[in-house]
Amino acid sequence: MAAQHTILLVGESNVGKTHYGAQFLKRLMVKGGALKMSGAPTNLEAFTTALSCLSEGKSTDHTPANIYVESVWPISDEAGRYAELVWPDYGGEQVRNLVTQRRIPAAWHERVLEATDWVLLIRLHSLRSEDDLFSRPLQSFAAAALEEEAPAYEPSDQARTVELLQMLLYLAHFHLDRPLQKPRLTILLSCWDELETTELPADLLASRLPMLWSFVRSNWTSPTVIGLSALERALSKTDADQEYAIRGPEEFGYVVLPDGVKDSDITLPIQRLMADGT
Amino acid sequence: MDRCSHPNCFADDNTTCTLGHIRLDMCPEWRCVSKGAVTATSDSDQMSLPWSGLAMGESDLNFISGKVKPITVGIIGPENAGKTTILGAFYLLLGRGTLTTDANPFSNSYTLAGWEAVATCLRWKPGQPPRFPPHTPSGAARAPGMLHLGFRCEDGSLRDLLFADAPGEWFQKWAINEQAADAEGARWIARHADVTLLIADRQALAGPKMGAARNDFQLLAQRAVAGARGRRLALVWTKGDVEVAPAMKAQIRKAVASVSSSVPEFTVSVSPLGQGDAAEDFRKLFGWILCTKRAGVDLPTTEASGHDPLFRFGRR
Repeated sequence: MAAQHTILLVGESNVGKTHYGAQFLKRLMVKGGALKMSGAPTNLEAFTTALSCLSEGKSTDHTPANIYVESVWPISDEAGRYAELVWPDYGGEQVRNLVTQRRIPAAWHERVLEATDWVLLIRLHSLRSEDDLFSRPLQSFAAAALEEEAPAYEPSDQARTVELLQMLLYLAHFHLDRPLQKPRLTILLSCWDELETTELPADLLASRLPMLWSFVRSNWTSPTVIGLSALERALSKTDADQEYAIRGPEEFGYVVLPDGVKDSDITLPIQRLMADGT
Repeated sequence: MDRCSHPNCFADDNTTCTLGHIRLDMCPEWRCVSKGAVTATSDSDQMSLPWSGLAMGESDLNFISGKVKPITVGIIGPENAGKTTILGAFYLLLGRGTLTTDANPFSNSYTLAGWEAVATCLRWKPGQPPRFPPHTPSGAARAPGMLHLGFRCEDGSLRDLLFADAPGEWFQKWAINEQAADAEGARWIARHADVTLLIADRQALAGPKMGAARNDFQLLAQRAVAGARGRRLALVWTKGDVEVAPAMKAQIRKAVASVSSSVPEFTVSVSPLGQGDAAEDFRKLFGWILCTKRAGVDLPTTEASGHDPLFRFGRR
C-alpha cells in the first residue's frame, strides 16, 4: 500500500497555484525530475486547460472562485518510494474567505484533517509594504482630526496570513504548547523571478514578513522556505511566448532551495517532504 | 445597542461573541434579541471558530488561560494620555520584527484584528498621514477589552500576555471613588493586572491645566500603587518629546514612590526625540514587561515525612 501524501496547498488568488500544479504534473509526465509518475494519473481534468495554455506559451485563466478539484497522482522517487500525491486546484478566494468570513466550510475542515503536509504559497511581490510611524516618522503630528467614526481598514498581509495558519492549526487539532514537527510546513515564495533577488529564501521572508516568519519559526521545528518560479518568466494570456511553444513548458521553471542553490527540478519541494516524511 | 441574552456574551460591548460569530446577525442568541432585523441564513454546514480576532471579553479569556494563566498587563492612565498608542506601537514593532529579540520570538495572537484596529491609525495610508488612535469607547463593561500576544520562551514553553485596553474615564472615576459604579473595569484591572503601567502624560503635565493634571495623577497613582500590592509597576512617561518642569517631574515621582522606592521609569514617544530612536524606548518597555514572571507557589514547609505535596497535610 503506497503511502499517501495529501498536500494541503494553501495560497490566495493569483499566487500561481494552478501554474505550479500544471508544471509539476508536466514534469512528472516527462519523468525529468526527482519525482516520476508511476502509472497513470487518475484524473487530469483540473489541469488540462492550464497544460494546453502553457504548451502554447500562454498563461492560464484565473481559477473560478467556487471550484475545488483534487487529482491523485501515483508517484515514485529515486529511492523507489511510492506515494499517492493528492494535489488540489481551487480559486484562491476561498482561502481569503476563510479568514475574512471566519466560517469554515465542512469540506475545508476535512481537507485540513486529512493533509499530511502543508505547502503555503506566498507571492511577495503582490504584498503591500506599508510605512508606519517607525519607518517614516511624522515630524509634526497634525492635531488629530476629530473623526470619531472608525476608519475603514484592511488587516495587514502578515496578520491575515498568521491568522490563516492559526485557523488551520486549530482545525487540524494542533496545539502550540511545543513547536510542531508535524504537519511539516513548506513555504514556497512563488513568482521568484519577479523579486530579482539573490537573497536566501528564508532571509527574504524574514525581512519582508518578519511577524509571519517569527510565527512560523517559533511554532514549527523545521519549516522550509523555498523560492519557486513555476514559469520562469511572465507569460501573457493572449500573446504566445515562442520559446515556450517550441521547447515546451517543461524546459522552464526553477526552484531556489533553502541553501540558495537554483535547480530546474520543481518537484524538489515535494520530494523533500516525501524523503523526510516516513 | 441591545445586550445579548447569553449570560457570558458581551458582544454589545465590542468584544467577541461568546459563540464565535463574527457577524452578530448570524448568532442565534443575538437574533433572539434583535428580532425583526434582517437576518442572514445560517449554514449548518459551516463551522465557526472560538475566537474572532477582536479584543476579548472576560469570558473569552478561558480560551487562552485554559492551561497556564497569562500575564495581564494593565495600562492605567487618564483619558488621552496615549494608552492605546502604546499598544499600537508595540504591534507595529511586532510587524516589523523588532519588538523582541530572537530569544523570545512571537508565537501567536488570538486578537490580531483587535491589534490591527489599534495600529491602523499609526500607519501611512494613501493620502493620509498617521493619526492617533481614536478614543477608546467606554461602556459600563465589567472588564476591559483584552489584546493577546504569545511568545515562545527559550525553554520552548509559551508565555501569553494580555493587554487591557481600557478607557481613561474608568480610571478617572476610580481615582476619585474606588467603589464608583461605572469603574468596575478599572477595579477589574487593579485586581487582575500582574504588571501595571502607570501613565504620566507629559503633554498634560506641561499644558495649561498642569495643576489639575498633577492632582489627577497623584490621586490615580495612590490608587494604583495601593492596588498593585507589590506586583510589578512601572511609571511610563508618554509624549516624551514634550518637556516637563523638573519640579513637576519630582512631584510625579514622589507620588509613585510613596510606597515603594524602586519603581522603574520609562519614557516613550512616537515622535522622534532627535537623538534617540523612538522604537528603542518602546522596545525597552516591552522587554521589561516580557521578563515578568508569575510568582511561583510557595508550598508551606511541614514536618511530614512524605515528599508528595499532595499528602503533606494528611498525617499528624
